[in-house]
Amino acid sequence: MKIFVSCVSPIVAALLVATAAMAQDKVPLKTQLPKPLFVGTPVPLNVPNLEPPLKGKRADFMVPAGTVLLSKGKKVTASDDSPVTGTLDLVTDGDKAGDEGSWVELGPGKQWVQIDLAKKATIYAVLVWHYHSQARVYRDVVAQVSDDPNFKSGVTTIFNNDFKNEVGAGAGKDQNYVETYQGKLIDAKGAQGRYVRLYSNGNTTNKLNDYIEVEVWGKPAA
Amino acid sequence: MVDKLNRREFLSATAVAGAAMLIDACKSDSSDQKAVVKKSSLNNINVALIGYGEEGKVLLEAFLNIEGVKLVALCDIWEYHRGEGERYLKKLGNEVRSYENYEDLLAKEKDLQAVLIATPDFWHAPMTNTCLKAGLHVYCEKMMSNTIDGARSMVKTMRDTGKLLQIGHQRRSNPRYLFTLNRLLHEAQFCGKLTAIQGQWNRAVKEDFGWPKKYEISQTMLAKYGYKDMHQFRNWRWFKGLGGGPLSDLGAHQIDIFNWWMGKTPKSVMASGGLDYYKNHDWYDNAMVIYEYPVEQAVARAFYQVQTTTSAGGGYYEQFMGDDGTIRMSEDPAICAIYREARATAVSWDDLTQKGYVKAKPLAADTAKVDVRETAALAEYEIPVFFNKPPHQPHLENFFNAIRGTAKLNCPADEAFTSEYVIHKANEAVAAEKKISISDEEVRA
Repeated sequence: MKIFVSCVSPIVAALLVATAAMAQDKVPLKTQLPKPLFVGTPVPLNVPNLEPPLKGKRADFMVPAGTVLLSKGKKVTASDDSPVTGTLDLVTDGDKAGDEGSWVELGPGKQWVQIDLAKKATIYAVLVWHYHSQARVYRDVVAQVSDDPNFKSGVTTIFNNDFKNEVGAGAGKDQNYVETYQGKLIDAKGAQGRYVRLYSNGNTTNKLNDYIEVEVWGKPAA
Repeated sequence: MVDKLNRREFLSATAVAGAAMLIDACKSDSSDQKAVVKKSSLNNINVALIGYGEEGKVLLEAFLNIEGVKLVALCDIWEYHRGEGERYLKKLGNEVRSYENYEDLLAKEKDLQAVLIATPDFWHAPMTNTCLKAGLHVYCEKMMSNTIDGARSMVKTMRDTGKLLQIGHQRRSNPRYLFTLNRLLHEAQFCGKLTAIQGQWNRAVKEDFGWPKKYEISQTMLAKYGYKDMHQFRNWRWFKGLGGGPLSDLGAHQIDIFNWWMGKTPKSVMASGGLDYYKNHDWYDNAMVIYEYPVEQAVARAFYQVQTTTSAGGGYYEQFMGDDGTIRMSEDPAICAIYREARATAVSWDDLTQKGYVKAKPLAADTAKVDVRETAALAEYEIPVFFNKPPHQPHLENFFNAIRGTAKLNCPADEAFTSEYVIHKANEAVAAEKKISISDEEVRA
């Protein structure tokens, strides 16, 4: 046993040092949250594989030091270029309030929005506020990162709860969820690309697809 | 993607109870329906929606799932909402003509059979009366009106014109409510002798509704339609003269169930409430109400609370409590529950289970550890009726089926008026700080 310990000790020690160094380089992701809002007649949700609601504030999400908000004010395109309500710039305008006028509403069925970060980046987190003044589940939510604006090649899927592959990005295994004022935090795990695309397919209240804000956090490529 | 639920899916979704029994249970049992049209061959009912705010959007979503009806016109004074509705419907392949003013709509739309009204309460009576007189059937959201006189006028116009007037107490067409009322409360006498009722709708503190500044309605137009400013327009529920406050906005749902399930109206109401929290509203933010229902030479008291400063207390429900058992109902199936007292012997569990009226829930592991000095834990069952439609859809379907002559309205205006009246009386009791008597005569329109 002693021999074993003496053999591995330097490795363990090195790992501990490395881990400590990595931990020191990680910092909590800090974003400004909007005011909580839940109004209107509640809609009973009959949604399978639903994530339990967050109890209180979300635990700190750690990102490498130097991670910044990449998406603020960046260009947004979408599958629906004449939204039902609002304009695409609302997706990255920094306003996360849940009131009328804060969201862009894309048409019924499968739709996507895409953010052009202007240059390639390493992405650690994507925060999404579809809608948070009513408990809703947005269906078939898929988030992807790519260097290809058409998302034909080099696509990394960072979130997918589209169990039946309705949007065609492959069947996902992530859970359905109800968004609150805290938004949905997606761990992007350092995916690299210039474009971030989010799909959805209506929601439990109506057939439409809303976006109040999307934040992409990461580090621009050198 | 449209979540259409056809009859087969509906029946399979309702599983345990059995198809024939359930369909029967879902029929309206109202025998004194007054405004019934004769059978017609209306296969495609043209409809206008007046009011495309929060509730109008809810109605539209339910409406879009219904076959044999078509929305041809949309009306809202706010261009921001009106345009939103127009664009949404256009994307669905359902272009509509849109109007700022409902009288313009009525003047120009000559091929309508029905209107859905989802405007602020103070517009309900004038709009409903005008539409009925124009020969249209009307589905009007609750409350009927912000005044008793307004509500009474709607019943009178319904009777004078012979047109249908359905009030939007959508629980009255909810299969779970109908099943539970008809099978458990009435047929099985599940609760035994009813001794008390409790209901509530508590909601957390929230900011008032805002609006995008660039889409503000002009002051002239706001004044034309009865609003002081944009804040009042967006938050009309809180202002006297426009709405009835939380007892009317939220409480109406539960208090209507009290009357419906009791099959009678209360003989008195006492209440306390106040504007204790919000500083820029007219109506009470919190209220507690007690109604007294006469039952077999005794009284069953019904307590209702609506709090808009806390969401505590288990959501929104109506609970009917008797010496044999208790039924807790809610639009949210997760909140529904039934309990049977240990003393209850009139109907056996097996019998109810076999009929598909109830389904036993497994007992919690520590149930047997109850202290001998306490009342024994109640056996817990659930109501085996589930449906997967938007909550307002069955009520709208009932309205359209009544127009076709294949159903009776589940909530005609004269029936709804009794609830309307006692809700207004609760607001009056809060203001008067005293118990108010309600006679059988005054509560009828």
